[in-house]
Amino acid sequence: MTSVPVTSARPTAPRRIALRVGVLLVVLLALWAWVVADLDIDKLLRAPSRIADLFRLMFLPPLWSNFLPALKAMAESVQMAWLGTLMAAVLSLPLSLLAAHNVSGRFGSSATRQLLNGIRAFPELVLVILIVTVFGLGPVTGMLALGIHSIGTLGKLSSESVESIDPGPVEAVDAVGGTWLQRMRWGVLPQAMPEIVAFWLYRFEINIRASAVLGVVGAGGIGSQLSETLRYKEFAQAGMAFIVVVGVTLLIDAVSGRIRRRIISGVDRPVDGDAAMIVMDPTVVA
Amino acid sequence: MSAAPTAPSSHAARPPVERPTKPRPGANRWLALGAVAVLTWLAASATTGIDLVGRLSATIERGVPPRTREILAQIPNPAWEDAPATFGPFLETLSMAVLGTLIGCTLALVVAFGASSVTAGGRVRLALTRSLASLVRSVPDVMWALLFVSAVGTGTISGLLALVLFNIGVVAKLLSETIDAVDTGPLEAADAAGAGLVSRARAAVFPQVLPSYLAYSLYAFELNVRASAVLGLVGAGGIGTLLNLARTQFRYDRVSLIVAEIFVFVFLAEVLSITLRRRLVR
Repeated sequence: MTSVPVTSARPTAPRRIALRVGVLLVVLLALWAWVVADLDIDKLLRAPSRIADLFRLMFLPPLWSNFLPALKAMAESVQMAWLGTLMAAVLSLPLSLLAAHNVSGRFGSSATRQLLNGIRAFPELVLVILIVTVFGLGPVTGMLALGIHSIGTLGKLSSESVESIDPGPVEAVDAVGGTWLQRMRWGVLPQAMPEIVAFWLYRFEINIRASAVLGVVGAGGIGSQLSETLRYKEFAQAGMAFIVVVGVTLLIDAVSGRIRRRIISGVDRPVDGDAAMIVMDPTVVA
Repeated sequence: MSAAPTAPSSHAARPPVERPTKPRPGANRWLALGAVAVLTWLAASATTGIDLVGRLSATIERGVPPRTREILAQIPNPAWEDAPATFGPFLETLSMAVLGTLIGCTLALVVAFGASSVTAGGRVRLALTRSLASLVRSVPDVMWALLFVSAVGTGTISGLLALVLFNIGVVAKLLSETIDAVDTGPLEAADAAGAGLVSRARAAVFPQVLPSYLAYSLYAFELNVRASAVLGLVGAGGIGTLLNLARTQFRYDRVSLIVAEIFVFVFLAEVLSITLRRRLVR
């Protein structure tokens, strides 16, 4: 029997070298960024009072006479977002089946996946700049930009949803001699569809936000009104446009969020979901 | 119900087993499809919507005018010789994204603690922080940039401020949901030891949510890289300024150069962020 020591030392804290190196790197990065950004400190200090001034000009008092024109422009933005999302939903569904490794060939799935990654790397505003050359100024350009960008995100998310299905029903369709299409229709889609539809709605919510600014580069909707009124210093008009954007966005978020929760309530995955998915996958919002 | 007393000899001739009736497709499905059809028609029609068919057919009829043809011909031939001039603005964009992430995520940490019922300390404060956060979140990043450009003037400061607000919106929402779901054991321990609001958040909650917080921050960095590349289109500094210049001058050879560079830039940031995040989760 060995004697038990009377005083047990407090366990030493683990040495977290990786953490320290990480913190050091972040600090260095911040210093570098501070130097490169070359911020005008005077301007920065004056910013709060300038912002307060702008706030007063925009919202006090609200210019209600611009309410209906702003609402009309916002309606165009919402329509662009709706049609763009719909276009992306229709096109991304077959692509997501091709990209899912459990229902597609090995080569096909990795090729489709790279295609989706590539599409996603173009921001909507950049797509507008390219598309506007052919389709001209207007909401169709905005719709196409939103639609194309959303194919990338929706395709990726949907394919992950397809990859997480139970293989049983697919095997059952195989066993009775179903074709590839029948396998998709009866084995895969019934399982994956609720989640995929929830992704569509979620994307619609994001596209509303995106569509509200596409007008800045000429794609129609409320963005052009907002940027022009600000440029010509019609601040009260811009203020009302701003109020309308925020109000409509919050309203549609609330409705769409409820529908999403309702659709997916049978599925035991996080609903509002973004947190859990984002940790695994970065493309939910972008 | 069917076991009626008037049919005693049902054992002798068993009725054939009937195939179970197929469940009727719910009325909800038809309602949803109908709603989608109506909304789509409203959005696309000429009177209420954007006149999709009319505009598309007008574009097809007009064809591609010679001027557009010239522009399109420039796109496959990026002006590579101008690439060195774009490096400076790209560094500026990157620095905006880095500072925006660091400042925004730090502030978002505070907001997130105020926006979770676990750590808010009071219903009024909770409701106030939450509604403020969702207000901030409902405004797109480019719109923040537009506002700051008209308030503070063009340049990186406006872009930085826009990114900071945008980050607060995104990270505070995600993190407050994570805080809502923490294990309550440490919290009870902290309460039992008489910890105040700040120290219980620091000691009992923060260590639990740290990995998620870092993952969200990396994710926010990725969003910032994307956003900072285009904020210059509205005058908020960085490479977008050059993109806007090239666009308005119809120098689409420069546009395609910058777009190609943004593509690589965003792609690299995404790869970096995903790699680091995978490590964090494990």
